[in-house]
Parts: sequence; C-alpha cells; structure tokens
Amino acid sequence: MMEFLNLILEPLQEVFLKFKVFLPNVLAMLVIMVLGIVLARLIKVILVKSLIAINFDSWSDRMGFTTLMRKGDVWGKPSATLSGIIFWLLIIITLMIGLSALNIPTIDSLVEQFFGYVPRVFSAAMILIIGYVLAGFISQGVLIAAVNSGYHYSKLLAKAIRILLMVLILAMAMEQLQIAPSIVLAAFSIIFGGIVVALSISFGVGGIDAARRMIERETMEKGAAETRDDIEHV
Amino acid sequence: MSDFHQTGIITTLHQLGKPSLERLESELYGFSRARPVALVLPALYSEFEGPAMPGIVQELAKVKYLNEIVLVLDKGSEKDFQRVREFMSPISTEVKIIHNDGRRISEIYETFARNGFNVGERGKGRSAWLAYGYVLARGRSDVIALHDCDIITYSRELLARLCYPVVNPNLDYAFCKGYYSRVSNKLNGRVTRLLVTPLIQSIQQLIGPHKFLTFLDSFRYPLAGEFCMTTDLARVNRIPWDWGLEVGSLAEVHRNYSPRRVCQVDIAANYDHKHQVLSADDAGKGLMKMTVDICKSIFRTLASEGVVFSDGMFKSLLVAYLRQAEDTILKYEADAAINGLKFDRHEEAMAVEAFTRAIGMATQVFMENPMATPLIPNWNRVTSAIPGIFEMLKMAVDEDNK
Repeated sequence: MMEFLNLILEPLQEVFLKFKVFLPNVLAMLVIMVLGIVLARLIKVILVKSLIAINFDSWSDRMGFTTLMRKGDVWGKPSATLSGIIFWLLIIITLMIGLSALNIPTIDSLVEQFFGYVPRVFSAAMILIIGYVLAGFISQGVLIAAVNSGYHYSKLLAKAIRILLMVLILAMAMEQLQIAPSIVLAAFSIIFGGIVVALSISFGVGGIDAARRMIERETMEKGAAETRDDIEHV
Repeated sequence: MSDFHQTGIITTLHQLGKPSLERLESELYGFSRARPVALVLPALYSEFEGPAMPGIVQELAKVKYLNEIVLVLDKGSEKDFQRVREFMSPISTEVKIIHNDGRRISEIYETFARNGFNVGERGKGRSAWLAYGYVLARGRSDVIALHDCDIITYSRELLARLCYPVVNPNLDYAFCKGYYSRVSNKLNGRVTRLLVTPLIQSIQQLIGPHKFLTFLDSFRYPLAGEFCMTTDLARVNRIPWDWGLEVGSLAEVHRNYSPRRVCQVDIAANYDHKHQVLSADDAGKGLMKMTVDICKSIFRTLASEGVVFSDGMFKSLLVAYLRQAEDTILKYEADAAINGLKFDRHEEAMAVEAFTRAIGMATQVFMENPMATPLIPNWNRVTSAIPGIFEMLKMAVDEDNK
C-alpha cells in the first residue's frame, strides 16, 4: 500500500519541488511586468506632454507625417500615436525581459533573437522616416523645376518620382528587416529595371526625331561659332 | 411681372416673363461640361426631420447638370449620419456628406486649432467653409453654388437661376447672389427691411458716399443665403463664422472682385423658410444676436477701409438710423396696404426699437475691440501652413462615406 502511495506522491513531490524552484522566477516575471507597465505608462504620459510642449503635432502636420498617418486610416493626434507606439514597444520589451526571468531555454533563445532584431527595426524605421521626408523634398523640387521650365505634366512627373523613391525606400527598409530579402531584391530589380527599360524604349522610339533635332541644333551652333570671326563688319 | 430697373453698381438679373426651366437646365447641362458645378448644402440633422428637406431632395433628384453635392451635416450622431446617407440616396448626382461631429472631421478641426487657425464656432459659416475646402481638395468643380436646407418653397428653378450667371462662360460673373420677395400673407424679412437697408442709408448720410456701402446697397436682399461663385473666389475669400456671414462674405467679394463681375438674380417668386424669433430681451440669441453680428461686420469692414468711427458718430448713427427705419416702416405700410397684406405697425416699431438697442450694443463691442475678427482664414493661407490639409480632408470625408 505504502509503495502504491509513494508511486503517487513521488511525482507530486517532484512537481512541487520544481514549482518551488520555478515560483521565484514567476514572481520575478510578474514584478518585472508590473514595473514595466507602470514605467511604460509613466514614459507615455511624459512623452505626450513633452511632444505637445515642443509642438510636435504641428511640426508633424507641416512635414507630412500626419497625412501619412491618415493614409493608414489612423486618426489620432501624432503625439498620442507616437507615444502609443513607444508604449507598446516598451510593453513588448518588458514582456521579453519578464519571460527571460523564467529561465526557460527556449524562451531565452527567443528573447535573444528579439533583442538581436530590435536594431534592425530601429534602422528600418529611420530609413522610412528620413526617406519619406527626402522623397517629399525631392518631388517638391522636381515639381517647382518642372513648372518653371513650362513642362505640361509637372504634377504627374513629381508624383511619379515620389512613388519611385518610396518604392526604393520601402525596399531598403524591407531589406533591413530581412523580410524575404531575395524576393524583395528580385522584385525591386524587376520593377526598377522594367521602368528604366520602358523609359529607354519610349525615348528611343518616340524621341528619335527630338534627339536628332537637338544634336543637329548643337552642331549647327558650334559650326556657326567657329566660322564667326572677332571683327565685326559694317 | 417684375420690373427691369438696374439698381446700384452690380448687375441685376430679373425674372421677366416665364422663362423655360427646361431651356435653362439644358443650357446649364452644356455649360457644366466645361465648368462643372458643385452644390454645397450646410444642414442640421433637425432639418431632415422638418418639412423642407424631403422637398429639396425630391427636386435635386431631377437635376442633371450638377457634378457633385457636398452636404455638411451638423449636430448629427453616427446613426443620424447613416440615416442622412439613406435620405440622400434618391439623388443620382454623387453626394458626399461631411459629418461635422464624426471622429475624422473632429480631428481635422483639431488640426486647424493646433496650427493656430481659429475656424470659429459651429454654424453655417464654418460648415460652408469646410465644404469649399473639400470641393477645392477634390478639384473636380469650377463653380460652387450654395443654398440653405430649410427652404419650404424650394424648386429646382431656384438652383438653375442661381447657377446660370456663373456657369455660363459668356456672362462670366464670378459671384452671383440670389434675391426674392419674402411675402406670405404679410411682409417677412424684417432684418433686411428694417435693419440693413436703413442702417446703410444712415451711415451714408453720416459719412457720405462710400464704395462698400454703395456695393452693399445694390443688393436687393443682402442677407439671402443663396449664392453661386467660382472656386477661385472660394479659395481667396475669408468668411465670417457668425451671423455676419452674408454681409462679411459680400465685403470679401467687394474686396477681391470688381462689381462688374458680381450680379444678383431673382431666383424665386416666393420664398419661405424657418423664421427666427426676435428675442428683444436677449442679445445672445435670435434676431438680436444676428443684428449685433451684422452691425459689427459692417463697422469692421468700413473701419478697414479707412472710415473713422467715434463715440459722437455712433450716437448720431443711432438717431439717424431710428429716423430712417421709421420712414421705412411708413413705406412698407403703404406697400402692404396696396397689396392687401397684413401689416402690424406696432410690431414693426418694436422690432426697430430692438434693432436700435442691438446697434448700440454692436457699437459698444466694436469700440472696445475693433480688431476682434471672426473671419475664418482663406484656404490659400491654410494650405500654406498645413500643406497636406486638402489630402487629409479628402481622406476624412471619403472614408466616412465608404
């Protein structure tokens, strides 16, 4: 009978012992989580106030970030949205740190992978932000230059350049995030290559006469300049 | 039959004989291909529960020359918004509804506020201004027509006559204001009859001929809420968000365009809409509030054109106005008598007394702060400060209407 009872109690004791060893880890995780959430909330509040104080929303409106947000059907204030993103990022980091306190090898490797990926996410975000601003500046510059030179399709040209730049930036960001890098590279090469080939063909076929006229005009002007002497005849 | 006399410095287009609506609409249909027309309707949800809106929708369903209709819904919940969409569905023209109390449009107003734009309190002025912005953002129309949504006697002839002078490229007017008689079994339109016209005449009596006053006096019904204009004008005009909307808008038209490009058109033989109470004891509401805002708007416009106002001048103005208004009552009494209309002379005199008090209040407010301007900035300035605002506004409205 005792043997039978031992058979039942032994695994239970083992589980209890394991739980006793594991319990401090769970408590540590819970403490980390609670502290993390409190800290994240505090940071969020401070961030919102600081962003409002430096007129971040207004700056965002002028720089076009608000428009970008609205395109994604996000209708909150830019400061609240950015603070929300940072808050959830901190929560994810807290969760990862908390999980690592459990000392479970599988989770540990997952956490390690996560923290190894964070710099990539950060640089991808930077590429997107800076790229978006630059694309805006360049397309605006192209629009002004094209309008000043009397080009009929200035708006279309500026839009096309902006789209092309955004495709390039998106490809760079995805490459940084290592999301299907070979597919991204191939797709990007095909799209950009295709555009260049299309432009070459369209100019080559449609622009033969224009190119000829330009070259002829150039050579005629050169010839005229060479034959002209310095003395002016009356 | 209407007379054909041209009064003032703007063109007056009368209703002579019985012009064919079919001809007018077919011509408009042809012209609108080159000059697409947007109709702006500032509306309160309560107006959809009243007697006017069903008639307006029924008439608009027959109109073929409109390119788009932009309805600005004020004081309506999400459910009300859906009901209004359903209500407007018989109209074949593309209808876009701007939900003023919706989440997205509220955020648009927040965007204005944080960038230093005071777009004022809710009301017809702010709604109309936002609708112009949406029409400009879409860039699909060259002409904007606007009328109220409380017109009980609405017919599509009103809209056709209102649009025609601006849409017809051979006439080339940039702004056209509607006019009509406000007669039922008695004479209505007290504010125009007993306040605006006598006030303009008494100011002219004190300061002599003035371009703006002559311009304002040229309109047969300066407070009419129906007008049509080019989108270029909508882009540069600043509009007041208070009751000075009509007079203030005319002041901006006068400032930006030559009177040769401004006209008024007889749009209806009769016109009836929601009547405002006088509320003689409360200057914060009803016709009294309207009077104070209109007077402030006129004083501000004149001051901005170099007219110097002083305490003494305002005192003389009150007396001069009272005399002018009393004389006006006599004229209308005779007019009512010959046409067999009811005319309560005592009520008219009470209204004039209340208007005199309101002018006094307006002069006080103006003297205390002549710079307090309720004008909403024009869209050129807004887009210069917030380059993406048109795109944001378009996205907000389009998402709401999905």
